Order: sequence, then C-alpha cells, then structure tokens
Amino acid sequence: MSAPQLDDLDRQLIELLARDARVSNRKIAVDLGVTEGTVRGRIKRLQQDGLISFTAITSFGLADSARMAFIGVQVNVNDVREVAAKIAEMSSVNAVMVTMGRFNVLAICLFNTLDHLLELASNQILALPGVHHVETSIAVKTAKYNARVVRITEADRLRADLSDEVA
Amino acid sequence: MSDDFIIDDADRAIVEQLRLNGRATNQQIANTLGLTAATVSARIRRMEDADKLRVVAVSDFSAHGYNVLMEVAIEVDGRPAADVVEELVQFPEVFAAHLVTGRYDIDMLVVLRDFDELPGLFLEKFSKIEGIRSMVPAIAVDVIKYKFDVAPIEAREGE
Repeated sequence: MSAPQLDDLDRQLIELLARDARVSNRKIAVDLGVTEGTVRGRIKRLQQDGLISFTAITSFGLADSARMAFIGVQVNVNDVREVAAKIAEMSSVNAVMVTMGRFNVLAICLFNTLDHLLELASNQILALPGVHHVETSIAVKTAKYNARVVRITEADRLRADLSDEVA
Repeated sequence: MSDDFIIDDADRAIVEQLRLNGRATNQQIANTLGLTAATVSARIRRMEDADKLRVVAVSDFSAHGYNVLMEVAIEVDGRPAADVVEELVQFPEVFAAHLVTGRYDIDMLVVLRDFDELPGLFLEKFSKIEGIRSMVPAIAVDVIKYKFDVAPIEAREGE
C-alpha cells in the first residue's frame, strides 16, 4: 500500500468531519479559510482514494452497558478465508481480521449480555466448519480507543454513494 | 439514558440513506423516501440529540500512515494492570488498549507504518515498562471487516 500524501488541510478536514459529517461545504470553507471548491475537491479526492468514508453510527438496540469482546478463533488453515467471511456477516461482529499468531482469525464484537456473547462465540462461531477453538476475552475497561479510525474495504467503497454534498 | 426512545420505520429509512451517503442533503433524502426535507431534518436532529445517531467521517488506518495492524495480548505480573496500560497508551502506536478478562490482562491494537518499526517498539519502548511478563502478538494479514456502525455514542462535548 502506498503512503498517501495528506497535508494539513486534509487532516483538518478529516478531524472536522469526524465530529459531524453534515456540516456544509460553505461552513467548512469559512472555518478553514479556503474556498468551497477546494473543500468539495478535497473531500471527493479523500473519498475516491478510500481514505475517508461517511457513515451513520447508531446505538439503537445497544445497551449503555454494552461491552467489547475479542474472540480469537483457531481454524484449519484451509478454511480460514471462508470462516473469516462468515464471521464478518454476523451482525454483532464489528471487526474481523485474518491473523498470524496464537489464532488465525480475530473477531471484535459488541454485546449487551453474556448470553448474547455466549450465543455468538460458543454457538455460532464455534459451530462453523473448520473451527476447532474459540477464546474470548471481555474488555472490562477501555484505556484508549478511537472509533473514527477504521479499515475502509473495497466493498465499502463500492457501496458508497459518492455524490456530494450537504446543503 | 433510558431506552424508551422510539425509533420508527421512517427513522430507520433515513439512517439507511445516511449510511449510503452521510452527506446527502435533507432534500435528497426526502425525495428518495417521499418525506419533506423538514421532516428529515427534524428526525435526524431528534436522534442526534438523544445520542442515538452520529453522522461522521471515518478515516482509514492508511490515511494516518499506518499499514501494519496487530493485536497484542499482555500478561502482567507484580503490578496493577491498570498502571501498565496507562503507560502503554502513551505510545501513539498503541491504537487501542483494554483491560480484559481471561488468560491475558491487557488486549491492545498496535499500528505501525511498516515492520521496520517493530523491533524498536517492542525491544526499546514496551520492554522498559515495568510489570509486563509476556507479550503475544497476532499480526493482521488481512482485514475483512473493521467498522463500528453500531456502537455506543458518547454525548457531544460542550453541549
């Protein structure tokens, strides 16, 4: 992956839009002291390069006490891709990566109740063909986290409607 | 926040449109859904005010120059894990860190520009922290999914 060339203006834009993406180009332009055309062009380029994406984050159905869990999965080497893809389809799973280390797939999820986690880890994931061990650790306290930095996948990019812009 | 906040089909449809394009205008969303722009605006406002919705830009790890992602589990010995994690989070390479249940005490996500940074980070920086008994990494070779579209929402600062 080539290192993207981001300048200060790009970084300011990202920071501003990470707080609220429904700010108009006009307001951003005034705040950052550039023209509306510059703002529009920069946003478009960042989106096309897959560096930013606009989304709606909701907390519907998620308890205030919702917790994060890390589920490490040991899978037969031949089944890794398929298992990772199946876990990624599960709605309460937020992140899935294929890893090298003490397991081959790592899933990160948010859950409301221990029953919910048990269902996910011990019933759904453990039942997938090729999976022989699941190891769960629950985050009891978060010391650092940035929910605004993610991996924008090719699929996300294809799904996105790149037409601008907020009036 | 109590959970008696009611979300109806129109709210869900608006959220669906915002997930496709967070910067669609109220008028565009209204046209697609057969609502008025005023309704769309009011619905979005209501969900945001209740901390049920945020429309935001998320950025890719690579936008911040990070091309390597790994999870590291840490066993702590002879010192409170909370103190160890406080030292770990000072490093910009530690992207996320949690105190966890189970065999390990701390679970963290580490990001690097490239693998050349690995020896310095582990041998010179992390190893200086007192109380780390062992560190076991799992290197992400492929990220299939990584998005937190459904997540707890913190109240906005200064409101």
